[in-house]
Amino acid sequence: MSTIQSEQSPQAGIGVELTPELLRKRRGQLRIIFDRFIRNKVAVAGLAVLALITLAAIFAPVITHQTATFDPNTATDVYHIASGPIPGHPLGTDYVGRDEVARLLFGARVSLLVGLASMVASIFIGVSVGALAGYYGGWLDNLMMRVTDAFLAIPLYLILFVLAATFTTGSGSASVIGVIVLIAAFSWPATARIVRGEFLGLKEREFLLAARTLGANDFRLMLRHILPNAAGPVIVAATLLVGFNIITESTLSFFNFGVQPPESSWGTMLATSQDYFSEQPLLVLIPGVAILITVLSINLVGDGLRDALDPYMTER
Amino acid sequence: MLEVKDLKVYFRTREGNVHAVDGVSFHVDEGESLGIVGESGSGKSVTSLSIMRLLQIPPAQIMDGSSIVFQDAELVDMEESEMRKIRGRQIAMIFQDPMTSLNPVLTVERQLIEPLQLHLGLSRGEAHNRARELLEAVGIPDAERRLRSYPHQFSGGMRQRVMIAIAIAANPKLLIADEPTTALDVTVQAQILELINRLRRDLGTSVMLITHDLGVVAGMTDRIIVMYAGKIAETASTDELFANPRHPYTLGLLSAVPRLDEERPTELQTIPGSPPDQLHPIEGCPFQPRCPFVLPQCKQYPPARKIAGNHVAYCWVDVTDPEEQKRAMQRGFIPLTEIGRSYLAQS
Repeated sequence: MSTIQSEQSPQAGIGVELTPELLRKRRGQLRIIFDRFIRNKVAVAGLAVLALITLAAIFAPVITHQTATFDPNTATDVYHIASGPIPGHPLGTDYVGRDEVARLLFGARVSLLVGLASMVASIFIGVSVGALAGYYGGWLDNLMMRVTDAFLAIPLYLILFVLAATFTTGSGSASVIGVIVLIAAFSWPATARIVRGEFLGLKEREFLLAARTLGANDFRLMLRHILPNAAGPVIVAATLLVGFNIITESTLSFFNFGVQPPESSWGTMLATSQDYFSEQPLLVLIPGVAILITVLSINLVGDGLRDALDPYMTER
Repeated sequence: MLEVKDLKVYFRTREGNVHAVDGVSFHVDEGESLGIVGESGSGKSVTSLSIMRLLQIPPAQIMDGSSIVFQDAELVDMEESEMRKIRGRQIAMIFQDPMTSLNPVLTVERQLIEPLQLHLGLSRGEAHNRARELLEAVGIPDAERRLRSYPHQFSGGMRQRVMIAIAIAANPKLLIADEPTTALDVTVQAQILELINRLRRDLGTSVMLITHDLGVVAGMTDRIIVMYAGKIAETASTDELFANPRHPYTLGLLSAVPRLDEERPTELQTIPGSPPDQLHPIEGCPFQPRCPFVLPQCKQYPPARKIAGNHVAYCWVDVTDPEEQKRAMQRGFIPLTEIGRSYLAQS
């Protein structure tokens, strides 16, 4: 490197008064988004509820005093069947005498795991397809978008039921993985379309030409230069996908095509307790309300993120 | 170091071929500064993007017989992977609008270390230090803190400084500046030009300065090429071109530069007519419909008229001939005054 001397900037030394507007501008982008999100009370409430549910799911074994010899998720209390709230079982017991709180918390683990894992896989497929189609355009775009259209044209639950019959026949955790794969395989097209649209617009921007003049290859341009600009819509899509996937999982499990015993999810809890609805409606209400609250919180957070990430949102 | 020969770039459209660059030859020597001047659509930017091999092909097409040799390597048919090693490392580029040529969601540091990682293989720590040095070198105060800033937190002039820092990061041999000051206000323009000049001296980088503004190249470049309609109209050393312009188009450009030192301010001169339609190029000299010196033989493309040394004009007419001038003045030609010329040469 030859010598390059530092140049005294002409601006240095001139005192610029920091008006509130200027100070605002100096904040980082993440900070601005965070501030906007924080001001949305409903979204923050959703996030708080979601955090609570997640913590409860993670610490389910601790909360329910699981030990090496005692599994509250499967242990039955034969003296109390479908009891309703009683001391020792705050939410009562189910139709074979298992503690409903334990069922709910362990079910949350499966439901959240399926929702998150299938979202990650789905976003990965959707972003890859959308990015390649939008960036390269031409025949590749045509091919990929027609495949996407085909996926969108399939009646979702029909194909899921048909495939689940062969896919999720394994019991326990094998069925959980099967459900994750299935949901991911059919929930990516929406993301692919969003990402393709973003890439189509962004690839013509001048800063990409500038990055090309520095010697960046296509992969680097897509991953490091375009994708961060498309992060907003992808994050929102990802959030909403988690909620959607939890519902899908519950539906599959409700019809017995999803998670198989002894593993339980909120959907299987609904399915197995519907026969006892007239005797103990609480057994249906508990997992139902759990699904409702979780998905609602996720969607509120998603909406909050959408508003916070949208640069054209007018300040409220 | 860079030798462009008979470069022809056509754009294929539904209506036919647009002759964006039509047989341009020039060279840039080591450490030299070359100005390319011309109005919008004269092929300046297409020329620079051809050198970088960043034209969209199709619709653009570099025609057979074109040659771009950079340091003994032919760029026109070079493999894309080889070309990527040249971009940013050997030839770097600065664009017109620093508002749009920086990535809005990446910090300045991440954009600065891009060429360092791509070409020099520096570690993260080394790249960080180098990035800070680069910001200091282009005159951005408080560099350590500014590295963490985003482009929108900089003013236009500061952003262009950042662009320059990114361009020189890997110490390229040739810097192509495509209208680097057009989007900036006048006081900042001078600072940016000064900065480019200083870096050229310090680093020994060759500079290709593309502009539509003769005032910009005046104090900046060793040589100038005046382009019109994808062809070279005139080329000379900078001093020679301002002192002794020989192409009617150059004369038109010179008198179209606004001046502040006139005793009796006159109306700003313009070149009548509009740039030619390059979809349907006319026979012969492309400037003839707008040229006050036009002659019947202009239907034939003029041969190179060697004026002196490396001063060449592509024109049938000797514009210094008093008879020719008299003829042109009847068509509205207004000769340049000596005052105007010396002012331009100084600025």
